Amino acid sequence: MEQTDAAKAERLTSQRARMLPVLAVLFLGQQASYFSGGWEGDRTVDHVRISAWLVLSVVLLLALTTGGGWIYSKRVRDLANDESTRAHRADAFQWGFIAAMGACILMYGISLFEPVGGREAVHMVMTIGLATALIRFGWLERRAQS
Amino acid sequence: MTERLENDIKGRRTELGLTQAELAEACGVTRKTVNTVENGVFSPSALLAIKLARALNVTVEELFQIAD
Repeated sequence: MEQTDAAKAERLTSQRARMLPVLAVLFLGQQASYFSGGWEGDRTVDHVRISAWLVLSVVLLLALTTGGGWIYSKRVRDLANDESTRAHRADAFQWGFIAAMGACILMYGISLFEPVGGREAVHMVMTIGLATALIRFGWLERRAQS
Repeated sequence: MTERLENDIKGRRTELGLTQAELAEACGVTRKTVNTVENGVFSPSALLAIKLARALNVTVEELFQIAD
């Protein structure tokens, strides 16, 4: 039986609320390899590792910004990005921004004691900011559904 | 002082025999948004407040009140 647009949007919002925090935790978990394996490297495996982080960061950022559900029609995506979703996203961006600023202060503090490269700093700020926003968005969306 | 918006969406919706999903569809939003407005978690925009009032056949003032 064909689902209505409203039912599809409900399913999309529900899946998104469950998936984004899980992806954020996986994203944070992926960072362990950077701390254990170092930040830089010229081997092929190092380039793959750094590219994987960047690709995942961009995908997660796009999912958070657009609401995801790219396989669905515009009507379903618009419905899934309704007023409360946009308010939750704005709140999540605010949290992400504050967390990113906190990471900047932390990196600045660390740089007083040991040199910190630009790539390392960007990595930390982006990871902390994005993960915080994703977790906050997922939490707000899940709370709204219960 | 933090002002709070109260509403009678649940009462009115129940009177009309509508589910949250049916009301949501009538207003062009998801059930989640109706749920958050109904529970006072989310304050709707003027546009959504008017849509909700129209769907429930009442005025905005009858549906929403500022809590004392």
